[in-house]
Amino acid sequence: MAALGRLTQALLRSSLTQNRRQLSAAAAGHGEQAAKTWKILSFVVALPGVAVCMLNMYLKEQSHTHEQPEFVPYSHLRIRSKRFPWGDGSKSLFHNPHVNALPDGYEGHDE
Amino acid sequence: MAHQAHAYHMVDPSPWPLTGAVAALLMTSGLAIWFHYNSIVLMTLGTVLLLLTMYQWWRDIVREGTFQGHHTPPVQKGLRYGMILFITSEVFFFLGFFWAFYHSSLAPTPELGGCWPPTGITTLDPFEVPLLNTAVLLASGVTVTWAHHSIMEGERKQAIQSLTLTILLGFYFTFLQGMEYYEAPFTIADGVYGSTFFVATGFHGLHVIIGSTFLAVCLLRQIQYHFTSEHHFGFEAAAWYWHFVDVVWLFLYISIYWWGS
Repeated sequence: MAALGRLTQALLRSSLTQNRRQLSAAAAGHGEQAAKTWKILSFVVALPGVAVCMLNMYLKEQSHTHEQPEFVPYSHLRIRSKRFPWGDGSKSLFHNPHVNALPDGYEGHDE
Repeated sequence: MAHQAHAYHMVDPSPWPLTGAVAALLMTSGLAIWFHYNSIVLMTLGTVLLLLTMYQWWRDIVREGTFQGHHTPPVQKGLRYGMILFITSEVFFFLGFFWAFYHSSLAPTPELGGCWPPTGITTLDPFEVPLLNTAVLLASGVTVTWAHHSIMEGERKQAIQSLTLTILLGFYFTFLQGMEYYEAPFTIADGVYGSTFFVATGFHGLHVIIGSTFLAVCLLRQIQYHFTSEHHFGFEAAAWYWHFVDVVWLFLYISIYWWGS
């Protein structure tokens, strides 16, 4: 649904460009209309496209379970060959204890 | 009074190239010191020096162009070439990270489970926040074009509105991406998937911040009447850079978020 919105956005943009080219063939001062055209595109296509995607997000978020992903101690993940240069060196910069397990498992759990 | 018999700009001696070079040295060696000896002094000093250099060097360029009239058409042409060459170099910078991503993902090694995404990686849904981010950047490309035409047509208020809207969209992208980084079930340390994802999108995010800052400076200059309808190259350079950032995102979205999921 959101992809359709974006596709429409791209198509509308190209068809409006076509119209402008045709108008310029007929009238001499097409350049003066350009700001108005892009203003219209901004408020009728671009920003509504963003709004549609925001709505899509809101709807999808409601059907999410916020469960913790299962922890499997794979050796190719959670690499710690060198400590991070902050804190105790075991947590990444955007560490989220709910979804980012440490090499031994999630924090605060008895594994 | 001395006159020059040519249209070019013989720039006055300036300390900023030297301070910039020193800043680069301090930042890079400071980074190594931070990683190995747990001290951020050198790196912080380098960063402060860099910020001071950028502020003063670009302030001087604005003075030379806008107030002293040194940016004649041939000089402006040189500045255009310069910006195009710089953006080209940035394209090659990102090409390297795309190379790394495709190298790793087209022939995934047995250590990863022989598949892409690697075993144990829960990827982000490309039709949630990443799609919204795409819409946000595409929209900002439309608003920055509105801004350009407004400047060319002498529409002062519209130029300020559209430029502000563009910058707000840029901030919104950065905010959304920051949230995504925090919510992601994988980190930079999660093998080659994490490395390629966060390095490529991370450098892109940095460029969004740089581009937003460039546009914000243009907004301040537009408010202060620096730009004319015929001569506003600073703004054009910012708009080019912004479109470049948008295009890089589109490639990231298609490659890493969509194909790579």
